[in-house]
Amino acid sequence: MTEIAYGVWQGVVRNTKSGQLPSADEFPELKNFETFNDGNAVRAFFGDKGFFVFDENVSLIDAFWHYFNKAAEQSCGKCTPCRVGTVLVRDALDAMRRGLDSSLDLDQVQILAEQMRHTSLCGLGQTCANAFLDALTHFRDRIEAEIARKAPVRAQNAMTYMTAPCIEACPSKVNVPRYIDYIRDGRPAHSLGVILQKYPMAATCGRVCVRFCEIACRRNLVDEAVGIKTLKRYVADQQKNGHSVIFNREMVEEPLKPSMKVAVIGAGPAGISCAYHLLLHGYHVDVLEAMDTGGGMAAIGIPSYRLPKDVLKSETDIIVALGGRFLYNQALGRDYSLDDLFKRGYKAVFLGLGCQQGTQMGVPDEDPTLEGYESGIGFLLKVHDHVAGTKKVELQGDVVVVGGGNVAMDCVRSAIRMGASRVHLVYRRTETDMPADHEEVVAAHAEGIDFHVLTNPARIISENGKVIGVELTKMQQLDADAKGRRNVKPIPGSEYLLPCTTIIAAIGQQVQHGSILPKDGVGLNKWACVDVDQAGQTSRPGVFAGGDCASGPSTLISAMAAGLKAARSIDDWIKLGHVRFFPRSRIRKMLNENHLLVSDIVEVPIRNEYRVHHPELDPEVRKNMFEEVEQTISPEAAYAEAKRCLRCYRVYEVITEQPIPEGAA
Amino acid sequence: MDTIANPSRAEATVSLTINGKPVMGYEHETILHCAKRYGQFIPTLCELEDIDHAPGTCRVCLVEIEQSGAESKHMVTSCNTPVRAGMKIETRSKRARAMQKLQVELILADHNQDCATCTRHGSCELQDLAQYVGLKENRFYDPERVAARIVDTSSPAMVRDMSKCVRCQRCVTVCRNFQSVDALVMVGTGFDTAVGLKYGLDQKTSACVTCGQCVLVCPTGALGEKDETDRALDYIFDPELITVLQFAPAIRVGFGEEFGLAPGTNVEGKIIAAVRKLGVDIVLDTNFGADVVIMEEGTELLHRLKHRGQPTFTSCCPAWINFAEMHFPDILPMLSSTRSPQAVVGKIAKTYLPEKMGLDAKKIRVISIMPCTAKKDEIVRPQLGDDGVPDVDVVLTTREFARLLKREGIDFVELEPSTFDNPYMSEYTGAGAIFGTTGGVMEAALRTVYKVVNGKELDKIELTQLRGFEGVRSATVDLGGTVGEVKIAMCHGLGETRELVEQVRAGTVDFDFIEVMACPGGCVDGGGTLRSKKKYLPHALKRRDTLFKIDANRKVRQSHNNVQVQALYRDFLEAPNSEKAHHLLHTFYTDRKRAMTLTVKEVWEEITMSTSVY
Repeated sequence: MTEIAYGVWQGVVRNTKSGQLPSADEFPELKNFETFNDGNAVRAFFGDKGFFVFDENVSLIDAFWHYFNKAAEQSCGKCTPCRVGTVLVRDALDAMRRGLDSSLDLDQVQILAEQMRHTSLCGLGQTCANAFLDALTHFRDRIEAEIARKAPVRAQNAMTYMTAPCIEACPSKVNVPRYIDYIRDGRPAHSLGVILQKYPMAATCGRVCVRFCEIACRRNLVDEAVGIKTLKRYVADQQKNGHSVIFNREMVEEPLKPSMKVAVIGAGPAGISCAYHLLLHGYHVDVLEAMDTGGGMAAIGIPSYRLPKDVLKSETDIIVALGGRFLYNQALGRDYSLDDLFKRGYKAVFLGLGCQQGTQMGVPDEDPTLEGYESGIGFLLKVHDHVAGTKKVELQGDVVVVGGGNVAMDCVRSAIRMGASRVHLVYRRTETDMPADHEEVVAAHAEGIDFHVLTNPARIISENGKVIGVELTKMQQLDADAKGRRNVKPIPGSEYLLPCTTIIAAIGQQVQHGSILPKDGVGLNKWACVDVDQAGQTSRPGVFAGGDCASGPSTLISAMAAGLKAARSIDDWIKLGHVRFFPRSRIRKMLNENHLLVSDIVEVPIRNEYRVHHPELDPEVRKNMFEEVEQTISPEAAYAEAKRCLRCYRVYEVITEQPIPEGAA
Repeated sequence: MDTIANPSRAEATVSLTINGKPVMGYEHETILHCAKRYGQFIPTLCELEDIDHAPGTCRVCLVEIEQSGAESKHMVTSCNTPVRAGMKIETRSKRARAMQKLQVELILADHNQDCATCTRHGSCELQDLAQYVGLKENRFYDPERVAARIVDTSSPAMVRDMSKCVRCQRCVTVCRNFQSVDALVMVGTGFDTAVGLKYGLDQKTSACVTCGQCVLVCPTGALGEKDETDRALDYIFDPELITVLQFAPAIRVGFGEEFGLAPGTNVEGKIIAAVRKLGVDIVLDTNFGADVVIMEEGTELLHRLKHRGQPTFTSCCPAWINFAEMHFPDILPMLSSTRSPQAVVGKIAKTYLPEKMGLDAKKIRVISIMPCTAKKDEIVRPQLGDDGVPDVDVVLTTREFARLLKREGIDFVELEPSTFDNPYMSEYTGAGAIFGTTGGVMEAALRTVYKVVNGKELDKIELTQLRGFEGVRSATVDLGGTVGEVKIAMCHGLGETRELVEQVRAGTVDFDFIEVMACPGGCVDGGGTLRSKKKYLPHALKRRDTLFKIDANRKVRQSHNNVQVQALYRDFLEAPNSEKAHHLLHTFYTDRKRAMTLTVKEVWEEITMSTSVY
């Protein structure tokens, strides 16, 4: 159905009554808008670019009161028109919806709304009056008619949601502008507190996150994205300077009785995040970890020159501070089964196993048992032991790493630090196609890595069970396919030999073979990953999964997001027997499916201020050591960087037929 | 680095129009700056060019722009919007004027409008602004909202009245970027946004060092000193009490402007006359105390120079003492134990003076006129009193002193200049006079130390090589004799001081003697000096020059040659650093650093406007 009775979107008016029906390319066709949740019709929708009303009986005044109430509550209070205007407009609408005389008439309210729209400092103030002004311009008669009734409006079911492009881009939905605001305000502890609402590993994320937020950052339209990750690291690192934010068991609001215990398998980012949120929900959590240390891929997959071990440990220790337990050297499939866990009384299990089995290249004469053959992940595990001092690894001669992702970059940059005389990176596509972070590629170049792009291994050469070289073939690019991606194929006759002592295949990973067995009753998908639904539930009731073992090799932030989501689901499942509807996810879906989020235009000139950069150690010095390369920025730099945020907040609202069910916190 | 406000080197190449007139802008120049260069006035509030501050929060400096190729006009704030080629700017369009006016009216919606009781009455930037935009009505004013604002009177030095705050954040910028104290933060959200102290503390318990530089940039009466004029009047008009008044070296060169005299005018004689007219019994000079400080600190320095390796820091500046105690307690052993000139005068005025003049010490009340807010904080230090009786009873800032004279109806300009007449504690030398400016304490000390080491005066009295104005200056001075070369440094402004102290702690610099003044420029620009609208420290150099002129014109220019100081030692203290001098004129410092630990729960309870999970 989704018949719009009337509305305005980006200045285009639609009015069924008057027959004003703009064409499809002028006005959005709304998908999946009929109901908000099962059987609960959407009556109206309001956003920064306009509004749609589906039900003629919706009270605009009440709807806009909800909208301004949210805006006033969320105004940062720095600029005059938003700070004062949101409150004055809200209070006037409140009087009107109650059928009382407002101290400000509609003309005065309109002038205030115009003032907010045209003179506010940030996105919130600039856009929160847009829909209201559209309504006043095009449907003023409806509003005047409502006022003329001089009677209280019947309460409407409304949900408001404020977001920004960076928040929507973040898998964990961290409120990025808010934590930047707190830095600008001079309150780093509160900034950190905003991040900690979503996950405990702020210092880790501040070092290694892939930064979907920065890709979405609208400051890109002016000069460069805000250094969001850099700022996150700054606030997390303030913990060292005499002032600190501490975790303790007392912060668990409602501790549950001892029988309410949950097992988390894997102490990686997904498991840590899930355990953290379960502990805060009051559960008793045991984290079972196959290795003898926490952190998972963040510990073994990220070299210490990017993420020092003590930084990571201080964050996994949060689990202990909150009353959780780590049980090390406990591998699923080897030391226990899922049935064992349920027998021990765990109410639910979270699988955060990761993907730790290296994928083979599939070239002739490839044999993982050869001396000098490593998978990317296997090599990083050795690097971890080397840095930890438990097992020294010395490389010599030439080392060849195959792959173009961050794991490949970690391998080449680690290999140069471990004594290799030359380190080669072999990648079958071009350098711009590399999925690795650009900064990592730049750093690898700076440290003297030899790049062989448009090159692929063709055969492994070995002698007496030892790798002695690799045959490489040159690749050529084909024409772009339908998706715009240019595939590659070998150039016949271009084969050449690269002698080497070590070859590292860093091209992908899978779930460790032998960890999930058929008797566990957990279904896998066609990529051999754990099959989960939207809520993180596996095919076995009470067993949830998230992170790389469910998604395939992915990012730290995605794993932590999956841990949070699973913790909510587990809480619902244990207490209610089912997983609840989650209103915020629903409204996000509405926005994304219908492309209703903020526009990508900046209309007025903004002074260019380029982003700060981490102070770095000299490449010639750092390539011989595993200490952290990037240093924390200074407070001055942090204040300057925080000021670059444009605060692209937008408020959205739905009015529904029925009350919206309460979702998990 | 070129700042946006001062694009040097570059040519003005951006062609645009302001109010129809063609103008040339610099690349990256703001509309406001360009308009100013062409004499086009735009009302502003939060912006303050002298501290490179344009947060764009008050939204008053609105102009209407039309960009080349754009379909519609836009309102932008001129303070932070750059000029662009082909831009047409209207500063006085009907729409711009209406929106500027409405903005000011919105600012006043929760602004305390009891202007008659405000210390900024008549010199308030917000009052000016309301007049500029032609404000005629005040429709949104709500006294209940004003009543909800915090007024922090916890500090003995300063008052923070949020009912008068316009959230310009100039104070935060000065505290953060200039003084590097970083005590001020923005707190609250939405309508209740205000300036607060870090970690939710109040002015007294926070890391604020009471330097008062924030007061100098505040456009309204939101920040100010704690007013003590009533207490001063209570003392003066109590017939039972004997009032003794001292005024600091910098007062005489930074007071005349208030009464329309040229900045930097020396009004020492008029001040003495005014104080007598007020009814004060004895008028003394803090400069005398400065000369005594040189005798004590110089002697102490010579002693410390026998064990080189770590520097001696001066101790005259109370904001610097607070800064060291609260931010770098590990360097406290390096601070000279000599009290400040104010504290020296206070102590001698309650011991030596009554002995000489046959007065009852219990009836003496010492009033100080200081260019400083931190001096109010200094006098309540328990170590600067005797059994709970403070050596100095009340400190008035320059601003309060001006207010006091106005209250008493004294026509300052018409006063016939007078002279000091106290035979015990009012004589001063050129060395004492220059204490009020950066480098002055150092220069005064070296004049005396040289004499002590060599038995003769410096050939050239003025150490002009120390008289630069950079934030940190260093030199090597040959004191001859057994001492030889000493490495000295002088710094002013706590931002520069922090850097120097960190270098000292890291061992990357090597100095023997370091002079510190917390306020940029020294006491002549202290946090208690007169305020200037829309300017930061505009009269620093003029005041400084006058101090150097006073020095040059003094017959006696070395502290040790001050005959009243010589008499003090002969008749009372015996010798510099004697046991009695130590007891009366030295002090000690305490570690006041506070490590703040918050639990995540406490932080979460305070976080607003973010999805709360727990």
